[in-house]
Amino acid sequence: MMTFAGFKDSFLWYSFKRDKIAIISLLVLVLLVMVAVFAPLVAPYDPYDPEMIDIMNSEIPPVWEDGGEKAFVLGTDSQGRDMLSTMIYGMRVSLIIGFGAVALQAILGVFIGLFAGYHGGFLDSFFMRAADVQLSFSYLMVAIFMSAILQAIVGVARFGEIAVPFLILVIGFSQWPQYARTVRASVLAERNKEYVEAARVAGFPSAQIIIKQIFPNTLSPILVLSTIQVANAVMSEAALSFLGLGMPIDRPSLGSLINSGFEFIFSGAWWITALPGLLLVILVLSINMLGDFLRDVFNPKLYKG
Amino acid sequence: MQKLFTRLFPILLVLLLAGFVQAKTMKLAMDADPVSLDPHMQLSGGMLQYSHMVFDPLVRWTKETSIEGRLAEKWERKDEKTVRFFLKKGVKFHSGNELTAADVIWTVKRLKDSVDFKGIFEQFEIPVQVDKYTVDIITKVPYPLLINTATYIFPMDSQFYSGTDAKGTDKGVINKTGYSFANDNASGTGKYTVVERQQGVKVVFKEFKGYWDEASPGNVEEIVLTPIKNDATRVAALLSGDVDFIMPVPPQDMDRIEKASNVKLVTMSGTRIITLQLNQQRVEAFKNEKVRQAIVYAINNAGIAKKLMKGRATVGGQNSPNGYLGYNADLTPRYDLKKAKQLMKDAGYEKGFEISMIAPNNRYVNDEKIAEAAASMLGKIGIKVNLKTMPKAQYWDKFDEQVADVQMIGWHSDTEDTGNFFEFLLMCPNKETGYGQYNSGHYCNAEVDALTLAVQSETDDVKRTAMLKKMEKIAYDEAAFVPLHWQDLSWAGKTNLQIAPIVNVMNFPYFGDLVIE
Repeated sequence: MMTFAGFKDSFLWYSFKRDKIAIISLLVLVLLVMVAVFAPLVAPYDPYDPEMIDIMNSEIPPVWEDGGEKAFVLGTDSQGRDMLSTMIYGMRVSLIIGFGAVALQAILGVFIGLFAGYHGGFLDSFFMRAADVQLSFSYLMVAIFMSAILQAIVGVARFGEIAVPFLILVIGFSQWPQYARTVRASVLAERNKEYVEAARVAGFPSAQIIIKQIFPNTLSPILVLSTIQVANAVMSEAALSFLGLGMPIDRPSLGSLINSGFEFIFSGAWWITALPGLLLVILVLSINMLGDFLRDVFNPKLYKG
Repeated sequence: MQKLFTRLFPILLVLLLAGFVQAKTMKLAMDADPVSLDPHMQLSGGMLQYSHMVFDPLVRWTKETSIEGRLAEKWERKDEKTVRFFLKKGVKFHSGNELTAADVIWTVKRLKDSVDFKGIFEQFEIPVQVDKYTVDIITKVPYPLLINTATYIFPMDSQFYSGTDAKGTDKGVINKTGYSFANDNASGTGKYTVVERQQGVKVVFKEFKGYWDEASPGNVEEIVLTPIKNDATRVAALLSGDVDFIMPVPPQDMDRIEKASNVKLVTMSGTRIITLQLNQQRVEAFKNEKVRQAIVYAINNAGIAKKLMKGRATVGGQNSPNGYLGYNADLTPRYDLKKAKQLMKDAGYEKGFEISMIAPNNRYVNDEKIAEAAASMLGKIGIKVNLKTMPKAQYWDKFDEQVADVQMIGWHSDTEDTGNFFEFLLMCPNKETGYGQYNSGHYCNAEVDALTLAVQSETDDVKRTAMLKKMEKIAYDEAAFVPLHWQDLSWAGKTNLQIAPIVNVMNFPYFGDLVIE
C-alpha cells in the first residue's frame, strides 16, 4: 500500500505539481463532483419538489439580462424551475450515469480484452465474435428491447424509479467491446515483448503477468478512451431520455435538459439550453484534460524514454 | 441525321427544362408521419390528413364550415333517415378501377367494423345501392349529423382490397397492431399516390395522372413528407429553406416566423380540446368526485395557456369550444389551489397518493411540456405523479392498453358537434357499439349516456342545444375529466405557397388544392 509520503515522492505528484492544466482540471472536477454530491445543500431550490415550481415563473432570464429576477440567478426553464438548481441536480444524474456506465464498460471490457488478448485461441475468438455481435446492433436497440421487458415487469409507473440503474446497465453492457477491442490490440502488441518473456521465464503465473506487467502498458489508451466514453455515456443517456426510455422528464439529467431547452433556441430563451450545455462542456473538458495528463504520466514510454 | 439532331437538341433541351420547371415539389415537414396507409386503422387527425391526400371523401367541409361535394356530385334528403348520394361518374381509383356505389357500400361496412370508427357509424345502416352511381345512406334513427358524418366516408377501392394477399390473409382486414395488406398498400381516388414510404423517415406522394378533379387550382405534383419531431429543428428547416411547409408551428417560435421575410404564418383558433382522463378503474381515489374536482382545481390551465402556449390557445372548462351548440358559457375554467387542497382534505386524501401518467411527445402542441406542468401541479396537492412521455407511434397502443392512471388525449369533434366528444370520451365504454372507445377514464353516467344517445336523433336545434349544454354541465360538475385548453391551429410556409385557402378549422389541409406560385 502506498503511503502519503510515498505518494509525495512519486512521479505522479511530481508531474502533477508542474502541470497547471491538470491542477485546474482536477480542481474544477472536484468542485463539480462535490456540488453534485451535496446538491440538496448547495442548490437554492429543490427542482423535484412541486411546491417550488410555479408555471407562472417560466422562462425568466438570468439575473444579468433584462427581466431577470434575483430569486432565480440563472433564470428559469419552461416549467418555471430554477435553472441553477435543475442543472446541479441534472449534473448529479449525468455524473452517476456517466461514471457508472463507464466503470461497468471498463471493468467488463478491460478484463475480457486482457485475457482474450493474452491467451488467444478459443477464448479470444469467442469474446471477439461476441463483441462483433454486440457492435453490430446499436445500443438503442438493446435499450428498447430491455426497457420493453422491464416495463412489462415493473409497469410504466415504476419505471422512473429504476431508470438510473437501467441506463447504467444498458449503456455499460452495450459498449464494452470498445474497451475490449482497444485493450486486446495493446495486449497483442505487448505480449511478445522482452519484458513479458522475461516475466514468463521467471515463472510468474499468467494472471500476475497480465495484471502487473501488461495492464500498466495498456493504460494510456484506456484512459483516453474513458474520457471519451464518459462524454459518450452522457450523450447516450440524453438520447434515450429523449426517446422516453431514460430519465423521466420531470427529473432531467444534464443531457435531457439541453435537449428540452433546444426547442427554445429560436425564441430567445437561450439560457435553457446554453447554460446546461456550458456546464456539460466544462465537465467533459475537465475529465478530458485529466485523462490527457494521466496518460502522459502513466505511459512508461513517455517518461522513461 | 446528325444535323437533324443538332438542330433538334436545343429544342429538346428547352422542352426538358420546361418540364423540370413545371414539376412542382413541395417539401412538407410535420411533427409525425401517418402511422399506416389504412385510413380506417386509426381515428386521428394525422390519419385523416393523410386520407385527404390519397383518398377523397363523399363530401367535405369548406373553410367556412359549410359542406361541399367531392365524390358525391349532389345529394338529397329522401326522408328523415335517408340521404341519397349521386356519385361523380368516371372517377378512377389509383388501381384503374372505377368508383361505383358498391365501393361506397363496402367502405361504410368496413367503417362499421373498424374499432376506431364504429362509434361514429353506429347509427348507420348498411347503405343501399340505387343504381351504379347512386347510393342511399340510411341511419337507424333520424340523424341530424348524417351529412357531417359523410365527410368521414372516403370510398376505398373495394376490388383492390378484396381477396387474399401473398400471405394468405384477407386484404380488407383492419389490423391495429401488426401486418395487414391495407397498412402497406393503398388505392383511393385522391390526388396523390404513395410511391415511397419509410415509417418515421419519409413519405413521398406523387400526383395521380388520372385524377378526376380538374377544376382544382392545385399545382403540386409531388409532396415529400418528412417527420421532424423536434420543434426547433422543424422551424429551422423552414427558415433555412430545406422545407416549404411546416405544421404545426410551435407557439414559442411564432413571433419569429411572423417577422421573417421569406416565410409566412397562418393561424386559426382551434376546436381541439386537450384533456387529461383520470382512470377510475385503476385508481380507487378517482372514483371519489371530490378527488377529481380537486385535480381540476389544482391544475392551472390558464397558466399553461398563457406561459407554455404563449397565449396561442384558449383556456377551457368544457369540451365544446365557443361556437358549438353545446358551448355553455357558465362553465369557466377552475383554478384554485386552496380549494383543491381543501377538497383533498374533505375526501380524506390529505396525505395524497401516487399515480402514473402518460402523454405523447409529438402529437399535440407542447404536449410533453403540458404533461410535465400538470404533473408538478398535482404534486402541490400531494399527488405524486410518475410521468412518462413517448412518441405517438407508441403512445396510442399504450393508451388503448390503459397502462397508466392518467392519460392525455386531445379531441376534435368529428362532426363539428358537441355530441361527438361525449360519444368517444365520456360515454360508458362499450366494445360492441364503439361508444366510449377513447374513454380511458371509465367515467360512466347513465344520464349522460341517455342524453348523448337522445341528442343524436333530436332534430330540433333548440332542444338539441339545451340537451348538449346539460351534458356539458354534468361532466363539469362531476369533474369527469380535466379540460386544459383548445389549441390554436398553425401552419407556416414559404411566401410563394398559398396556404390560407387550403387550411381549415378541422386541420385537414387540402393539399390537392395547394397553389405554388
